[in-house]
Order: sequence, then C-alpha cells, then structure tokens
Amino acid sequence: MNTLQQKYAERITVTLDKYPDKRSAVMPMLYIAQEEYGHITPEGIAQVAEICDMDPTQVKSIAGFYTMYSEKPKGKYWLQVCVDLPCALRGADEFHHWLLDELGIEEGGTTADGVFTAEHVMCLAACDKAPMLQCNFHFEENLDKDKMRAKLKAWRDEALAAKNGKK
Amino acid sequence: MITVGDRQIPNIIYREVDVPNIREFDVYVKNGGYEGLKKALGMTRAAVIQEVKESNLRGRGGAGFPAGVKWSFIPQDNPVNYVTVNADESETGTFKDRQIMENNPHQLIEGALICAYAVKAKAVYIYLRGEFWDVAHALDKHIADARKAGVLGKNSALKDADGNPFTVEVYTHLGAGAYICGEESALLNSLEGKLGQPRVRPPFPAQKGGGLYSEPTVVNNVETLANVPWIISNGAAEYKKIGVGGSSGTKVFCMSGHVKKPGNYELPFGITFRELLYDYAGGPLDGREFKAILPSGGSGPIIRVTDELLDTPLTYEDLQKHNSILGSASVIVMDDTTDIVWVASKVIKFFKHESCGKCTPCREGTYWLDKVLDRILRGEGKPSDVDLIANVANNMKPTTLCALGEFAANPVIWTIKNFPEEFKAWVEGDKKAAALQAGKSAHHSAPKVAALPAAGD
Amino acid sequence: MAKTVTITIDDKQYEVPAGTNLVDVAKFHANNDIPVFCYHPKMAPVGMCRMCLVEQGAIEKDRASGEVVLDEAGQPKVRWMPKLQTACTQMVADGMVIRTQSEQVKAARENVVEFLLTSHPLDCPICDKGGECPLQNLTMEHGKGGTRMAYEDKQHLDKHVPLGEADSALIFLDEERCIQCARCVRFQDEIVGDDVLAFHERGRRLQIITNSEPHGFDTYFSGNTTDICPVGALTTADFRFGARPWELTEIPSIDPFDAAGSNISLSTRLDRDFGGRAMIKRVMPRQNEEVNEIWISDKVRFGHHFTRSDDRLMTPMARSGGSLSATSWADALSAAASKIKAAGGSVAAIAGSGMSNEDLYALKQLVSAAGGKHLGAWPITHTGADLLAQVGLGKGSNLGTLGKGDAVLVIASDLEEEVPMWRLRLKRAHDRGAYVVVANARKTRMDDFADVVVRYDAGKAAHWLADLKAQNAQVAEKLAGANNLVVVTGSEGLTLDGHRALMQAAANLLIETQHVGKANNGLLSTLPGANGMGLHYLGFSPEQTRDIAKAAPKVLIVAQAELLADDPNAEAWLSKVETVISLSLFPDAVATKYAAVALPIQSFAERDGTFTNGERRVQRFYTAQGPLGEALPAWQALGRLAEAAGLGKAKLSASSVMLEISQTIPAFEGMTYKAISAVTKQFPDVGGNDLYYGGTAYQNRGGLGLVIPTSADKGGAVATGKVSLTDAPKPGSGEFVVIPSTRLYNKESVFKPSVLVHPRIMAPYAEINSADAKKLGIEQGAVVEITAGGATVRVKAHVNGGAPEGSIVLPRHLTDQAVPVAITTGKVSKV
Ligand SMILES: Cc1cc2nc3c(=O)[nH]c(=O)nc-3n(C[C@H](O)[C@H](O)[C@H](O)COP(=O)(O)O)c2cc1C
Ligand code: SF4
Ligand code: FES
Repeated sequence: MNTLQQKYAERITVTLDKYPDKRSAVMPMLYIAQEEYGHITPEGIAQVAEICDMDPTQVKSIAGFYTMYSEKPKGKYWLQVCVDLPCALRGADEFHHWLLDELGIEEGGTTADGVFTAEHVMCLAACDKAPMLQCNFHFEENLDKDKMRAKLKAWRDEALAAKNGKK
Repeated sequence: MITVGDRQIPNIIYREVDVPNIREFDVYVKNGGYEGLKKALGMTRAAVIQEVKESNLRGRGGAGFPAGVKWSFIPQDNPVNYVTVNADESETGTFKDRQIMENNPHQLIEGALICAYAVKAKAVYIYLRGEFWDVAHALDKHIADARKAGVLGKNSALKDADGNPFTVEVYTHLGAGAYICGEESALLNSLEGKLGQPRVRPPFPAQKGGGLYSEPTVVNNVETLANVPWIISNGAAEYKKIGVGGSSGTKVFCMSGHVKKPGNYELPFGITFRELLYDYAGGPLDGREFKAILPSGGSGPIIRVTDELLDTPLTYEDLQKHNSILGSASVIVMDDTTDIVWVASKVIKFFKHESCGKCTPCREGTYWLDKVLDRILRGEGKPSDVDLIANVANNMKPTTLCALGEFAANPVIWTIKNFPEEFKAWVEGDKKAAALQAGKSAHHSAPKVAALPAAGD
Repeated sequence: MAKTVTITIDDKQYEVPAGTNLVDVAKFHANNDIPVFCYHPKMAPVGMCRMCLVEQGAIEKDRASGEVVLDEAGQPKVRWMPKLQTACTQMVADGMVIRTQSEQVKAARENVVEFLLTSHPLDCPICDKGGECPLQNLTMEHGKGGTRMAYEDKQHLDKHVPLGEADSALIFLDEERCIQCARCVRFQDEIVGDDVLAFHERGRRLQIITNSEPHGFDTYFSGNTTDICPVGALTTADFRFGARPWELTEIPSIDPFDAAGSNISLSTRLDRDFGGRAMIKRVMPRQNEEVNEIWISDKVRFGHHFTRSDDRLMTPMARSGGSLSATSWADALSAAASKIKAAGGSVAAIAGSGMSNEDLYALKQLVSAAGGKHLGAWPITHTGADLLAQVGLGKGSNLGTLGKGDAVLVIASDLEEEVPMWRLRLKRAHDRGAYVVVANARKTRMDDFADVVVRYDAGKAAHWLADLKAQNAQVAEKLAGANNLVVVTGSEGLTLDGHRALMQAAANLLIETQHVGKANNGLLSTLPGANGMGLHYLGFSPEQTRDIAKAAPKVLIVAQAELLADDPNAEAWLSKVETVISLSLFPDAVATKYAAVALPIQSFAERDGTFTNGERRVQRFYTAQGPLGEALPAWQALGRLAEAAGLGKAKLSASSVMLEISQTIPAFEGMTYKAISAVTKQFPDVGGNDLYYGGTAYQNRGGLGLVIPTSADKGGAVATGKVSLTDAPKPGSGEFVVIPSTRLYNKESVFKPSVLVHPRIMAPYAEINSADAKKLGIEQGAVVEITAGGATVRVKAHVNGGAPEGSIVLPRHLTDQAVPVAITTGKVSKV
C-alpha cells in the first residue's frame, strides 16, 4: 500500500469503481497526487502507476500532456489568467501583465515567498466575465485591479497564517 | 420565457430563468422533471430515436450532426454500449454548457438517460474540462440526488418498456486542460486514460471498435442532450415550431468581446445578427462600431460586419451563405479598435498551444504560422509573408488528421481573405513602421486594447 | 484460398487479397510505393504523419440492382471522396479506386515533407542515419527542394539524450530529429508489450520519454526501434558514430544465442581498429517471416563483442609438465592424434550447441572412426529432441500466423529469458486471439500474455500435463479443440528425466488431440544455444553425456562445452578422464585445468556454417569478420585431427562438409548450401531501398533455410509413449527445493565481453519466498549462502514472491562459480 492509497483510500476506491478499466482512473489519480505533493513528483507518478496498473512512463506521459498537471513546483496559489481572444478583447492582456508586475515575477514564475505562481492560459469558458483567472482550479471572475489586490492580500495573509500555524 | 419581438417562447435550456432553483432535484421534479425519461421508458427504443430524429435536433457541439441519426447508428444487439456527454467546452468564446450544468443539471442528466435508454447504453460518462472542477463536484451531488431518488443507478426504481429495471449509471470525469479532448475520439482516449489525441476513423465512435473501450458509443454535447427531455415530453412537432427550417429549437448564443452585455442568450434559430447584437447583447460599446465577428469561436471563419450580415438570420443554412458556420454559436464580437492581424495571431496561439501533436501538418503548421505572425507583429514581416502564411494554412487544411488543424487554418485564411488591408498595413504600411520604431516591447507585441469596465456581476 | 477483391490503382486493376492494408498491397502487388513515415507494416496504422495521402473513390453501384453505374463514356462511374485519404488506414475493398500520382497527391506529399522539415535539423552529415534515412530519401523524392521556414524560427532541442540512466542507456534520442511518428512507442507497446516509451507534452513540444524502472528504456528488444525510426532520432550506444552506412558490407548470419535462430545481418567494415580486417560494426535484423520476421533481440544486437575479444583463445596449446603453453597447429594436432590412436577406441566427445552442423559432423566422424561410441550433448538441461524430430512444430509453420481459434501451451519455461523471440511472437499470437496457457511453478513474464496461468508444484510439470483432463478440464478441452496447437516446453524445475517425462506428456497430448504433422501444430522446446536440434540430428544427446560421466573414457573431446563453468558436478567425473582434448573459443577451465591439447576455434562470425534451429530449420551463416589469432573452424580442426590420426581426410570447405551431410544423414537430405540459400519474396516486402517502409531490417539475401520434416510431417505413424514420471526432489528438514533458472543477460563467456550490456546483467541473486524469508529472518537484498547440488554460492536475496514457498529460484550464470544445472535441494543461510 502506497502513501496515496493509505491517505486517500475512500476517494480512490470510489474513482476506480467508476470504470471497467483501472487505466481510466489515471487522470483523477494524478489530481490526488498533485494535491498530496504540490506538484507531480516522481513518487506521485510511481504511486499512480501502481494504483492504475500502468508503466510509470505512461503516467508521466499523461501528466505531461495535460496542462493542469504541473511537473514543476508551484506556489501555494496557482493563478492562471485567461488571455485568450474574448478575454483579451476586454483587457485581459493588460490585466495579466499588471498582475505579473504586482507580484514581481515573470510569466510562469513564483514569488520569492512561494505564495503565488502566475501564468497565462487559454480560454476558460468564462469569456463574458473577463478579466478572470483560475486560482487552484476555482474561478475568480469579473476582476479589476482593486478586487485583485484585495484577493492577493487575503491569500497572502492566509498563506502566512497557515505557515505560522504550522510552526 | 424568451421574448422575441412579440413572440413568447419557453426557455428550453435555461429554465432557471423561469423557475428559480431548478437545479435542485425536488424543484426540477415539481416542474415536470424526469417526466420525459418516464415517458421515454414507456416507448420503444426505436420510437424514442424516431422522435428525436423528427425533431431535427442537431448537435450543439459544433458539427451540427442530427442527434437522432447518430443514435440510430448504435447497434442495439451489442451487449455493452456507452453514452458520453461532451462537456469539454474549450472552444475560444464558448461558455454555455457550464451554465446548463450549473443551473439546470438535472435536465442534462435526464437527457443523457433518455439517450442511454434509446441506445441501450450501460453507463453515461460526462467528460468535463478539468477547469470545471467546481462544476463537476456540484454535478456529482446532483447525480447522487437523482440516484438517491431512484431515477438512475443500480437501485433505480424505474423500469423500461419491457419491464426490465432501468439501471444506467451516470459518472463525471474531469479532463485536465486540453482543448483537443472536446474532439470526440480524443475525448474517448482521454476517458480511457490515454493521451487525448484523436483516433483514426473509421471505426467511428458509434461502431464496434471505435467507441469507449472499443464499444459503440454516443458522444453528444451538453446542450444537445439538454434539449432531449423537452422534445420527448412535448413532441417533435412542438419543438419544430421553434426555430426555422432545418434549424429547429432554440440555441444558446455565447456573446463575448466588444458588446455591452456579454453573456449567454437562449434564442430561437432564425433571429438575425442585428437582433442578437443590438437587442440582446446591448450593442457596441459607446462610441465604437462593430467591425468583425467570429460567429463560431476561434475555429470558424471571421466575417466583416455589414448591413447585409446584420440582417442574416442565424441558422445553420444562412451562415453557410456567408462562408461561415454557426458551429457552437460562440459569437466573438470585435469593434473598430481591433487589429485583425493581432486577432489572427491570438487565435493561432490558441491552436498552437492546443495542437495535440499527433499529425504533422497541424503540429508543424500551427508552430510555423505563429512564428511568422509574430514576425509580422514585430514589424519585421514582408509582403511575401502574407502569401506564405496563406499558403501554409491552405496546405494544412486538406491534410490534417482531425478538424483542429482545419480550425487552425481558418483564422489565417479568413483574416487574409476578408481583411487584406490590415495585413498590408503590417507588412508594408504604417503599422510596420510604427512597430519597428517601438522595437520589441518587453512583455508582448500585441497592440494595447483600451481597458474596459468589467461586465456587471 | 483467401478471398480477393478487385481494386484500381492509377487506372490499372489488381486482384488482391481481401482484408489487407492498401499501402502493403500497392507495394506488393502493384509495385507502387506509397510513401509513409508513421505506417509500419508490422503495426496497426495510426494515420499520424499524413505522408500517405491518396485520392480515394469507389466504383458506384446501383443500390437496387447492385449493377455498376456507367458514365457517359461507358466507364464505371467513380464516387471520389472530397478529401484526400490516408492510404495507411485503408483496408482494400472491392471497387476501391485510388490515385497516387495526381497533382493533388503530389502537392500533399510535398507539403507534408515541408512540414516535417520545418522542425528537423540539417545535420545529415553527422547523423548515423545519413545514407539510409527515410526522411532524407523521401525528401529527395517528394520534397520541394528549398525551405521557406526561416532557420532562426526552428526549435532547438536536446541532442544525445540517453533513454534511461546516462551510464547504462542502450538507446540515445536526438530530440531535434524526431518526427513524432510514434513508431518506437507503438513498437514497444504493440509488438513487445512493454510500454516503456511514450510522448511527453504535446503539439510541437511532443517528445519521446522513458520513465520506467529500473533502467528506463530497458527491454530485450529495444534496438529494433532504431531500425524502424524513420530518422536518426534513435541510435544505439553500440553503433553511434561507429561508421557511415554506405561503408558497410552486409553479411547474412544467424543469431548464435538461442533456438529461435533469428536471421541477422552483420554490418562489417575493413577497420583500423581491427588491423584492417573486416570487423562487425553492428548487428541488424534480416527478414525471415517464419523465424524472426524483422526483429532481433538486444542480446544478439549488442552481444557480438565476444567474437573479437582479446580473451579469446588465439593459438593451439599443449600441456607439458602440468602447464599449458602455446604451440603450432601441427604439434598440437599430432599430440592429440597420438592420444586418440592410443586410446583403443575409448574415445568420446561432448559438444555444445554453439557447434555448427558441419562441426558436429566432423566430430562424429572422428569419434566413430576412432572406435568411440558416445557423443554427448551439452548442456544437459534439456532432452527429448528425438520427440521434436517426431512431432515437432510441423513443416510450413509460422508462429506469426497463429491467432483466433489456435492455442499455445508454454510449460516449465521462462520463455522471455530462454528464447525471447518466441516470447515476442507468441505475445502477438495472443493479441490476435490465440488462447495461451502458461504453466510453471512460479511467475514469469509470459504470464502477462496468457489467458490462463497455471501453477503446479516445483518439479511436477509432467505430472500436471500427463493428468491434464483431471487437473484442468477446461484447459484440456480448449487445447484439444483448438484449430492449431503448439506446445513449448522448457526444463525449468525439472531434472533431465523430468524433462523427458514432460516432453513425452506433451508429445502424447499433441498426438492424442491430432495436433501433429500439420503446419502450426506440434512441439517446441527451449533447447539452449543455436544448434540444439543439430546436436540431435548428428547423434549427440545429453543421455550420452551422462553415460560418459558414469564411465570415463580415455580420451574425451570437449568441443565448445564449458563443462566446469556450467555444472558444479562436472569436475568430479572430468578429472577422471585421462586425456582431454578441448576445442573452445575461450581458454575456459576445461582447457586450462584439464586439457592436454587446447585448440582455438572460430566463432560463428569468422566462418561459414549452418545451424539447425528449434523449429528444425537449417540455416546458413557466412564469413563476416576477419579471423582472430590462429583459430580455425571446428570442422576443419577436427578434420585435420582425424587426418593426423590417420582416421580420415580433412574437407576443404564447409560447403563440402554439408554436401556430405546431405548425402549421408537422412534428415539433411537435399540440404546443400545452394538449397538452403534460396530466397523467395516475402510479405510484407521490406528491406529494399524503400527504408521508409519496413526500416533498416535487411532483405534476406542469404537464404530462408530449409526445415527438416518431422516423422509426423512425412506421414509416418507416431505413437504416444509412456510417461515415466519422476519424483520431484524432496527437501529434508531445514532444506529447500532449489530451482535453477535462466537469465538472458548473464556472465557466460560468449556474452561477458559485451560490456555495454553489463549494467543490465543482474548481480547474483536468488528468489526466496517472503514467508520463508520471514522465517529465516532474511531481508530484501541481504546476502545469503546457498549450498545445493555440489555448489556453494553467495547471492543477494530477492524477497518478492517470485519463488513458491519452500523453494529458492537460483539463476544460472550470474555467479562466478557454477550453480546446479537441474532442480535439487539445498540449504540457505544468512551471511
Ligand atoms: C478540435 C475540436 C474540439 C471540439 N470541442 C468540442 C467541445 O468542447 N464540446 C463539444 O460539445 N464538442 C466539441 N467538438 C465536437 C465534437 O467532436 C463532437 O462533434 C460533438 O461532441 C458531438 O456532439 P453533438 O453532435 O451533440 O454536437 C470539438 C471538435 C473538434 C474537432
Ligand atoms: S524517435 Fe523515431 S521512431 Fe520514435 S517517434 Fe521519433 S521519429 Fe518516430
Ligand atoms: S499517415 Fe499514413 S503513413 Fe503516416
């Protein structure tokens, strides 16, 4: 029994039960591995391979194809700003660059305190609510600079609190 | 109710407009929910398929294939068939299916169950794009409610026309960020835990060997299936009264870009662009004029806004006359501040990012087109570059494995065809000069777009 | 007769077999090369590269009447498809019409080549594939000639990426050169069943990766990917930068390592590193559809270094005063001859399965002329070749055609390790629907490709099979009812007598169910080495070896048999032999410790000869490499020895030896070199100049070989025989059953010099059941001492459930000392 199987036993069983073939569960399992380790790590891949009865090469391949799995470490809050055409028509490019400047990072970078990673993504199916972004897979819509500043502050405080709490 | 001129038409898809909280199982049932399923279960499978065929319901995922015809391809004597719901919704400018799943989820579940009955499917898989994380988890709850209430799953209280228990299961499955998984065969691969790359056809999904786990499978869009309960409950004849000609029923139009009121609008087929843009989407932003429309998201041809266009009725047939398509009706609107070459570049970047890499022309073509468009937008383009990209795009079109490659060629082919003067300005005119002078800007080469007020919550 | 359909290709009609692929058909029947990159005739089409686009239509037929509709000109009307279609994904169908030379098609090909080149580097001058590169060739043929893609727009990626750990990778990837055809990925998945390669990322960033344990791209067939890669993206660590393809001379040869007898081609060059003599630069597959198709194992591809090893025995040696010293051939032969003459008929020989048919014949002639009786075969793990001669796999068989309705039983063998090519081909048979039963005392790789896995107690293979109906009625019924049935036996977990019982039980099953004397039916055995069946047909057997061991002859000729390295019990009886004359590739312990005269002989690469493979196919290998030292072909050394002893006349060439064999040994009737070297066109037609199609597997120009028919094939009566069951050894208290096993990569002298593969040779180990390990307090990886069957060795314990409870699985040829040859009992202790 590997760590994931122990810690997420219930979720894993429910998921495996959905499909006639274990391999179908590889994507949900990768989400679990990402949740556990922060990003897709070699140990995560090895465990998912075991759960889904796949070669680790195939699991890594899946992790590499889909953009919502990150094989690189990410900040606690992973901000993905949609800058696709409809959002861009409503100022998303500007918003995105403002956000990078605000965080003081380059595209795809992580803030020094490890709290934020920001990058642009393609259309998120929220074109009428631009500018918008996805933060750890939850949508934040109809943003502007003020709203965003407030959110960043709240998240940063939360991250700090969590860190201090741990200590 | 949808008001079109002096007509009042029921909301078939966005029923939450008329019935608040219809997302909840009890409310849904109180308002006639799952009656369509019960009625269907009392009919023969063939009769259900016939009804859907007669309704002229066409696929809302983009290709517009008649749903009933698709269902009739499934071999009824095969022991295991599947239904998969295409909730990948990743086409640039499309955001309608999400609203259905968030606000009227049971109607989708019911439609999928009717389909499952009609094609003798064992289970329904709803494939949602990974970014619909929250949507999927809410949907899971609604499915659980329906299961508890006995309308689906192995303990279902329902019986089919032959008196057998109706035990179809419904599951959600999350993708993880890949537009190509909206292409039906790539979706099936992804659901099987493989790379989301399209399969060679034949065999088609509806055939043995071509579907999910090689079994015959129906793949239908969310909106397509959400129409089905209404059609079964009210009959094909009633349905055909809404809309015009071969385009029957309502359609959700996703309005985005330079309009005052972006959002989803459920309207009957046959209303005009003018009505859609002005009466519903609120017209252009103050002081601006409409310039161009992508009526089918990033993948369809771009068209210039003219009076003639504005008076064109929105039907599958009429848009073809303008060398465009209705597709999934994701209408991206651009006004006179928009640079069309920049639009082409934006859209190519999307397809380059989303090309799965399986076939040569799409993988290499999108990469190449993007490189040349970038060059043009840096002011380093030559007049021959325009011919080059037109030629490259035209070479992609007939040779790619799936439609993504064709979609990717469209923005280049049609921007050049319909807006040649804009390219001219970039490769030999004022924009070229300006760009060269400005040099390479630190972040990006796209012209700045005026900041806009965000749409109201 | 197979069904046929009529199709039209470029206005000409062809009648072709139904159910075949359009690309294959066009090439084979219409001599029309539809260019392909991703399609490969051995794998399912995927339609990725888009190179094979053609115009496709169908002759229109009237729905009601079924009559062909005619146009105004009275010609059949063709309904063309709106878009070009990929020929590789089309099965031929009646009335199909294809155009392959139209402007539209030409433009599409030109465009696809242009797209491929947008990302491809222009490093042909330093690319290993340069000169035999499908992309290069098809660019010349179909490309535009210039590029419109700005050079600075090209994407630059990593070169020389090891597919696995940097210090042990066998295959290197040049990411820039890869054209994403997925042939390598699909080969590993479909053909091998080890999906250790995959794509990573997507779109233009798509790259081949491996992330498998323990060595990354680590399978016994990895090298084949470098043959089918249509560009220079995949290269072997063995050949990278070794030579340019056009400098190489291809010499047909045969895999010397196992019973499959894979056809290979030795690419040689006159090389400075080898004193200007011809030297093997690489080993490539050579097509023989009935033997190895177009694949070879990595063992033979990378295992050729022993043929040039500095450790080889270079000169004749003779013993004087206890020590062995170099001497001339003349002196060595006369010393040996005098011993033979003085032996008074007490002469015997033991020969290994690396000896060619010619060698064995010369040896047999010598021994019988000297009045000797016993011809022992080595090693003594397998027996029952006489049954293979009676009811072996029928003439005309092709494991590549087994499929639905057929059945295969693999019993007492770790097939992947013993004869990997058979494992590969039976895996495919399984994919095609053959019913595969794998029976063994423990888990083996073949289990993955079985419909039914059977476990019996160690040593009880024959017990199970002889009693099949009672043991497993369903399996018995399925095997009996199969259209075709092939049984493959190994000898794992069996004594020699145990293996005979198993062979007899298998023969009985085949005879009783009437699965003998027909193509694709009959018995196979994983006889070690390349010429196990040759040993049989020339009169050698392991039982005679046992007789020799029981009563030592005065003179024993040991030919290519490393008795002491193989068997801990051999020394006891070998030491009783008065005079040992050894012929060997290496100065092994038999030579150095016991030989009075040690004669250096040539490896398969340095001379002509024939081997008889496990399917009784007699196949020829040709002189490829310059001779090493003073070594001679064994047949020649033996012929001269006979001459020196006044017992015969040496033959001048291998072909004249074979001619005599064909005239005197009935099994070889008609098998002259000419007959064995005959070639007919094979399907699919690979290996010509059209490398883009099948890859760099070579066309067969050296001969397809000839199969010795079984008695059953000849219509002779074959009767079942009595199965003499032997008891499995019973461990005493505190003892274990010790099951010797086989590893493909090991420290045998013919493999050890190939250092490239060393990281893949397992450190000495034994499998122990976890329950037993727990009882003894042995942890995973702990060093244990095993005393069994006359040997004491120290190995690492692998506690992972591979071994059945109460037994130890001990691989042979991993330790420096010999370990038991056959199942026995022994003790284990922690060190
Ligand atoms: C590249 C590509 C992306 C697609 N994306 C979607 C999508 O996100 N949602 C969808 O419903 N159909 C999408 N489709 C269309 C599907 O392949 C398929 O036609 C559709 O799901 C069929 O359902 P329908 O007949 O109900 O429309 C896409 C097609 C292609 C070629
Ligand atoms: S490495 Fe070679 S065989 Fe593998 S995908 Fe690339 S080009 Fe094809
Ligand atoms: S698409 Fe047919 S050969 Fe590649």
